[in-house]
Amino acid sequence: MAITILPPAPAHENAKAYHGDSSDNDMDIDDLPSGHRSTTTNIITPGQTVTSDPQWMRGHGTFADTDSAAIRSTLAGTLQKTNKLLSIVPLRARYTPEIGDLVIGRIVEVQSRRWKVDVAAPLLANLLLSSINLPGGVLRKRTSVDELNIRAFFGEGELLVAEVQSLFQDGSASLHTRSLRYGKLRNGYFMSVAGMGGGAGVVRAKRQIFTVQTRSGGEVDVLLGVNGFIWIAKHVAEKEDVGINRMEEKVGESMYSSQNDEIEGGTRREVAAIAGGIRILVAGGVKVEEGTVRRAYEAGLELDERERDGEMMDSERGSAVVEMVLAGG
Amino acid sequence: MPLDTSTYALAHLRLDGRRWNELRRLHAQISTQAAADGSSYLEQGNTKVLCTVSGPQEQKGGRGGARDQGNEAKVDVEMNIAAFSGMDRKRRARSDKRVQEMQVTIASAFQSTLFTHLFPHSTITVTLHILSQDGSLLAACLNAATLALIDAGIPMSDYISSVTVASAPSSDQSLDEMDPLLDLNGLEEQELPFMTVGTCGRGPGGGEEKVMVLVMETKVQMARLEAMLSVGIDGCKQVRGILDGVVRSHGKRVLESKVS
Repeated sequence: MAITILPPAPAHENAKAYHGDSSDNDMDIDDLPSGHRSTTTNIITPGQTVTSDPQWMRGHGTFADTDSAAIRSTLAGTLQKTNKLLSIVPLRARYTPEIGDLVIGRIVEVQSRRWKVDVAAPLLANLLLSSINLPGGVLRKRTSVDELNIRAFFGEGELLVAEVQSLFQDGSASLHTRSLRYGKLRNGYFMSVAGMGGGAGVVRAKRQIFTVQTRSGGEVDVLLGVNGFIWIAKHVAEKEDVGINRMEEKVGESMYSSQNDEIEGGTRREVAAIAGGIRILVAGGVKVEEGTVRRAYEAGLELDERERDGEMMDSERGSAVVEMVLAGG
Repeated sequence: MPLDTSTYALAHLRLDGRRWNELRRLHAQISTQAAADGSSYLEQGNTKVLCTVSGPQEQKGGRGGARDQGNEAKVDVEMNIAAFSGMDRKRRARSDKRVQEMQVTIASAFQSTLFTHLFPHSTITVTLHILSQDGSLLAACLNAATLALIDAGIPMSDYISSVTVASAPSSDQSLDEMDPLLDLNGLEEQELPFMTVGTCGRGPGGGEEKVMVLVMETKVQMARLEAMLSVGIDGCKQVRGILDGVVRSHGKRVLESKVS
């Protein structure tokens, strides 16, 4: 783990320490617009009283003492109002799975009928043998032979893209890969940024999987997992007219292969360029989604052309890309 | 080196020029390490602590999928005292009893303050690296851990803030009384009986105020304890204010730079 120690900041920031922060109490909750998008810019810290008015209900990130109606915060973040429900959106937190999320995960454990998958959530996710596409027909029942050969599908350390199918009582996710878009990942590059749950990072969007037409490396697939895991890989052309009847052949031949293909230098460079663009977005606090990733890649190309002779400093380049991305959106 | 009590008596100042109720410079940063779920760096005088939090996460690679059956998250504290942190270079064994006691103290304090029931079967690992020690080590570790846990977005009922207090001979020689001293440095800690106080909450209007940590390894007269404790609790409030300022200024910076 890389350790970075930031340069010391001036101490005077801390000087204005303790005012009992009563001025923040009972702020203009009534004026705050309701809804998911809008939050105040007012920071709320753990233990702070959000309101003592009994008309509000307490949501995530809040609690009440047993003997009083006052709602207090448990997190550092901003206040969000949904009708009468008050919740605190943390500045940063771990990913919590929700049904329908597209996630990228890594197998950590193989059990008798299931895999345990690390999806950067508090608990490992489950992938049942019955919720993957078995070779030799989608509708085939799983057999004891499949159970014995479980490692032929996914082994420890392998990456996969899946969807959250359901949630267990304790909040852990159950995944499925019952679609040709999901399954094992190969021929690509893995990176991890902050996921949903406050801060910059991947956000839930209409399209999490898209293809970028790169300048010199052909088409490159980008998979943005909602949990903050990202996969960038060479695009594999889909065979035309794959009917439901021929699906089994397609599933059989390549789906569970762990062997990487030979990737030519041009594609590798473009994959690295897209990854660099995403890193700049995260460092600049810009959300990562299809539009921003595309614009960051294009901004990178443009800067390369402009700066053909002189090398740009990383930080200059970063802020230039962020500016261009924001201007484009 | 013994304390220069003569100067202390004359000027009402301590060795490092502070008054009896003054804290040392407390400087802290949040989110210092991008790779961790939460991290902080805290300097309390010359005591410097780096804290990282990972989790809540399920323990991986356990023996044959042995799953933690508890209905709440477990708080694990790992403390690493660098060999170069003290006055003389010495490497502390991992099994050092003092280190282990501090680990247990910190873990049990946070176990009851964090909302661990929200994360069943998982573990929150707090790793503390002590880069430099100059007194109030346990207090600095508690403060750093609080900040890192807030950065990790783990729900807690309130900040745990902590300071040390000592009992020193009174500045007025005629009286046979003792003065409490706040926030000790390394030298004072060697000379005086002291204790570490950690509180949670801040009294009226901000929920119940509770003493979460109270550690004392030296002997002191029973009659002096009350004065020490009240000075300590007041010091904890001051520390809480400073930590709160750090969190707020960090939050403001995050919101300013956040563009969507």
